[in-house]
Amino acid sequence: MPTLTDRAWSPYVAGILIGLLQIPAFMLIETALGASSSYVTVGGLIASWIDPSILRIDYVAKHVAASAKNWWQVAFVASIAIGALVSAKLSGAKRQTISPIWERALGSASPAKRYAVAFVAGFLMLFGARIADGCTSGHGLSGMAQLAVGSTVAVAAMFAGGIAAALLLLRRI
Amino acid sequence: MSLSIAIVVGILMGTVFGFALEKSRVFEPGIIVGQMQLRNFIMLKVFLTAVATGAVVLAALNGFGIVKLQPKAALYAADIVGGLILGVGIALAGACPGTTLVQIGAGYRDALFTFAGGLVGAVAFSYAQPWFNTTLLSSGSGKIIFSDLIGIPYWTGALALAAVLVVVIALLERWRPWRDEMGHDVDGDMGTASSSRESQSRIAPAE
Repeated sequence: MPTLTDRAWSPYVAGILIGLLQIPAFMLIETALGASSSYVTVGGLIASWIDPSILRIDYVAKHVAASAKNWWQVAFVASIAIGALVSAKLSGAKRQTISPIWERALGSASPAKRYAVAFVAGFLMLFGARIADGCTSGHGLSGMAQLAVGSTVAVAAMFAGGIAAALLLLRRI
Repeated sequence: MSLSIAIVVGILMGTVFGFALEKSRVFEPGIIVGQMQLRNFIMLKVFLTAVATGAVVLAALNGFGIVKLQPKAALYAADIVGGLILGVGIALAGACPGTTLVQIGAGYRDALFTFAGGLVGAVAFSYAQPWFNTTLLSSGSGKIIFSDLIGIPYWTGALALAAVLVVVIALLERWRPWRDEMGHDVDGDMGTASSSRESQSRIAPAE
């Protein structure tokens, strides 16, 4: 029986709980689970403090608007960190500040190198996710469950890009 | 729904999502990079289980007419180009846009850089979006779903997908039991944990 203090749950227990979150998403917010649009809402808002003209781009204006869907997703994504923190504290997990796999994957123990790769990787993730109009949550969890044709194509491309990069650009972990 | 209630719902749901993702260990770089190097299949197990559960839930909610589906439009060129770039980012980040926040909550410092890069990437796309709108994002096939293409009700197709996924997941578990894929520190790291244990046991008798 899974408990709140376990270090790990079966992937099937966790997966079922994640899938059940579609119920409140569809019933209360009339949307599907997703994560990547919130980066446009938060990033666009911060950018507008430096360059107010960014709000003249319809895409940005639409994402920063004070709508329930936009800010539901910002709250949802930000709170992921809270849930993870609580879970990690309850299980008493002690983590290094950088996963030990990166020393092997990058062939370097330098934190500066890891931080640089992480920044570029984050940039690529969101730039790609916004071109595709969704990430592993919106296209993956939600799009595939809805049998969406475009989402299935997007998920296949994500795995193709991820497998190619992990085999060609990273070393064996 | 009012903005403030939507935010409260978001906080509650996000906390549950983050909790489940942390317990599943799917946010660990060792598990995500391991999946992309085809050495560890916990990510696929969590993902397919969540998709199957979502399909069953939506088959019921949509089949009984309680909710409308919200599929995204199919824009194949954008889905492929964007998906490939996103995939490369996922491998190098050892995270996806949602699990980056799990890594931050669990204490991985590099995830702060992934997150910052993500915000900059989203803003860079926003500046380029008017151009993308006239190119990659200009022509789509609409919000098409497979069940409409075949000519069956959505709920039938969703239950069929869930049934197929249950079989796939059962075979996956039989081939690679999840407990064997967690590693010593439940982070999908099979390398250093076993080698450090070996070196300790080699040193011990000498002492």
